[in-house]
Amino acid sequence: MMSPHNRLRSVGWAAALTICVALFVALTFRVNAVKSEVRLAERRIVQLEREKSMLETEFQTRANQHQLASWNKVDFGYEAPSAGQFLEGERQLVRFGTPRAPGAPAPIRVASAPDAAQEIGGEQGASRPAVQGQALVAMVSPLSGRPFADEIGKAEAIAVRHAQDIPGRLGMSATRIVLQSGRETGE
Amino acid sequence: MSAISASTAIHSGRVQLVNVRQRLLFTARLRIFWVLALFALLALAALVRIAQLGLFEKSFEHQSLSETLLPPRGEITDRNGVPLARAFPAYALWFNPGAFDDGGLPLVKSPEQVARQLAAIFPEMDIDIAAARLASGKPGYLRRRVLPEDANRIQEIGEPALEIPQEDDRFYPQGTMAAHILGYVAADGHGRVGMEQVLDNHLSDPAKRGQPASLSIDVRVQGALEDELRRGMLVTNAVGAAGIILDVDSGEVLALASLPEFDPNKIDAEGQKNMFNRVTNQVYELGSTFKPLTVAAAIDAGVVTDLSARYQANRPLEIGGFKIRDGHVIGASLNVPESLIHSSNIVTAQIADKLGGKALKRTMSDLGMDERPYIELPARGFPIWPKGEWPRLRTMTVSYGHGLAVTPLHLASAYAAMVNGGIWRPATLHKVAPGKASKGRRVFKASTSARMNQLLRMIAVYGTGRNADAKGFRVGGKTGSAEKPGAGGYRRSTLVSTFAAAFPMDRPRYVIIAMLDEPKGTAATSFQRTAAWNAAPIVGRTVPRVGPLLGVMPDDTRDIDLTDLKPLVRGAH
Repeated sequence: MMSPHNRLRSVGWAAALTICVALFVALTFRVNAVKSEVRLAERRIVQLEREKSMLETEFQTRANQHQLASWNKVDFGYEAPSAGQFLEGERQLVRFGTPRAPGAPAPIRVASAPDAAQEIGGEQGASRPAVQGQALVAMVSPLSGRPFADEIGKAEAIAVRHAQDIPGRLGMSATRIVLQSGRETGE
Repeated sequence: MSAISASTAIHSGRVQLVNVRQRLLFTARLRIFWVLALFALLALAALVRIAQLGLFEKSFEHQSLSETLLPPRGEITDRNGVPLARAFPAYALWFNPGAFDDGGLPLVKSPEQVARQLAAIFPEMDIDIAAARLASGKPGYLRRRVLPEDANRIQEIGEPALEIPQEDDRFYPQGTMAAHILGYVAADGHGRVGMEQVLDNHLSDPAKRGQPASLSIDVRVQGALEDELRRGMLVTNAVGAAGIILDVDSGEVLALASLPEFDPNKIDAEGQKNMFNRVTNQVYELGSTFKPLTVAAAIDAGVVTDLSARYQANRPLEIGGFKIRDGHVIGASLNVPESLIHSSNIVTAQIADKLGGKALKRTMSDLGMDERPYIELPARGFPIWPKGEWPRLRTMTVSYGHGLAVTPLHLASAYAAMVNGGIWRPATLHKVAPGKASKGRRVFKASTSARMNQLLRMIAVYGTGRNADAKGFRVGGKTGSAEKPGAGGYRRSTLVSTFAAAFPMDRPRYVIIAMLDEPKGTAATSFQRTAAWNAAPIVGRTVPRVGPLLGVMPDDTRDIDLTDLKPLVRGAH
């Protein structure tokens, strides 16, 4: 014969066990419910990926080289660039300038804080022209307002990230990368 | 007693009744029990099933996401990752007359009505043919490569016999472009003709097919080359054209075109006819384009040391009853640069004679002209290579590109070796990582190569290659117009016109070859059939289009230094 105390304890154990089993079952049910949701989401992803690849293919087909060439021939008439449209460096750029005429207004100079600091550091004699060469203002992207060097670095990172999808592939050419990154940072 | 007996009688009757009642009750209870047990069993089964569903994974095999998204066949891209061939989940339109399975008519509506409705979706479908096929009651494809929206519209027709199975298809977004490089995938799922065949294992291996296979070609360059070749072929009424652009330092093929082309998206009898690759499979006597190779061999061997030495050029050379002559008398005598500029057979034959058959044969064999061309494509033609010791006449004819027939690809590889400093490398369609180019073998000295660069540039500046001299691109190259051999000797009326060039000559990076098969004299070529008038302009138009894409910018301020050779050419200064 069990003592009332012992009976209470075993009932308590049984209750605890029941609660645990119930919780376990509930948790397992929940886990499997989430799993099946994940499966549904995966199915949706697959469906969307297929759709995407279909649209990509359609886009590529409509924009194939043959089509672009015929549009160019009929509608745009663009021609291959000639030698006059390329500049190889500062030297060739300078050819277009004219020497300052006597009495001409002084050229506009643009100040730049970090370069000014450098100038103070290395103001003596021979190092001066080199420092002045660095004093050019960094080029700034017209779209985002940030320095160009950052933009290009970021654009490369974006290009790598998108290398697998169509905008990335289309954006492989350098000019497109800059424009694309400008749009992305603008958002 | 009677009461007792009566009561006994009654009692016994009662007992009987009670027994019956009890039995009935028992049966009823038993039945209820069975029914309840059945229900309980059902409920238990349902609970077990729910628990099973809730507690354990689903029994069906679950594919991982990456497995599902893995294409059935790998993608092929160009060097910049532009897809050239990809798997395409398309639908097909299959006519299944047994869809109703009741022995009745296969269609609900009349075949004509259904055909008309199908033609409304696919305007190019012939109503009569489609109706005849529907009426015939034979199962078969009515159409393949149906887009999803069209598939939905087919469903709306409401004919169970029109089935739309999903199929794994191969699609080439660029259409006919680079068809000879890519090939196609046949109904058995294996590649044919081009890189589809070469890369078949890679493209179908589940471990590898997720990664696209990138080729060495550049779609934009390929497009420009095909475009200009097609134009050249049409304006000269040629039966075919071939072209190739090769990186001289790595052997990578940037573009390779053989016209007329076929459409890998639609393989039919006409397409099968055009699958023949003129660049790698057909051998031609490529004529005067061999002259620079001969001169290079002679300079390299130390036979020609003085470029100003003059050779007679106004009398045909007679060797064993065979006469070597020029198209027209250019002058009484010519030096080496002049002989190349004016393309003189007589002078080249004399140089080859001085060089000797042995040395010329060794150079040609070093340039790979005695074996099939080096490229991955399965279709590679074997050259017509004269075996044994070359007699005098053979040496002379080979020197100007006759008696030895090779593919245009052989010529491209040889020119690449001639201009890149003298290293011959096999051509490849695989993208080569920087610094990973094949080591190759030395054929010419670097000094010979530098001299040849000057001479090739001079041909384009002062000679027959003037039509190829794209402004600012420093093109150098040699024309070649060879008569095609036919029954009973060479046919004077059918030519193979070739222009083999490299650019920019101050530091050659690419070799470009354009070839026309049987061009006719037309108004566009001033009624001329020679390469200077039809093949050279193709190069002259292609180079400005592809140069900037390949990193060669036009520049009027640069050129190869010709000052030491200029005085040797009459009228050049």
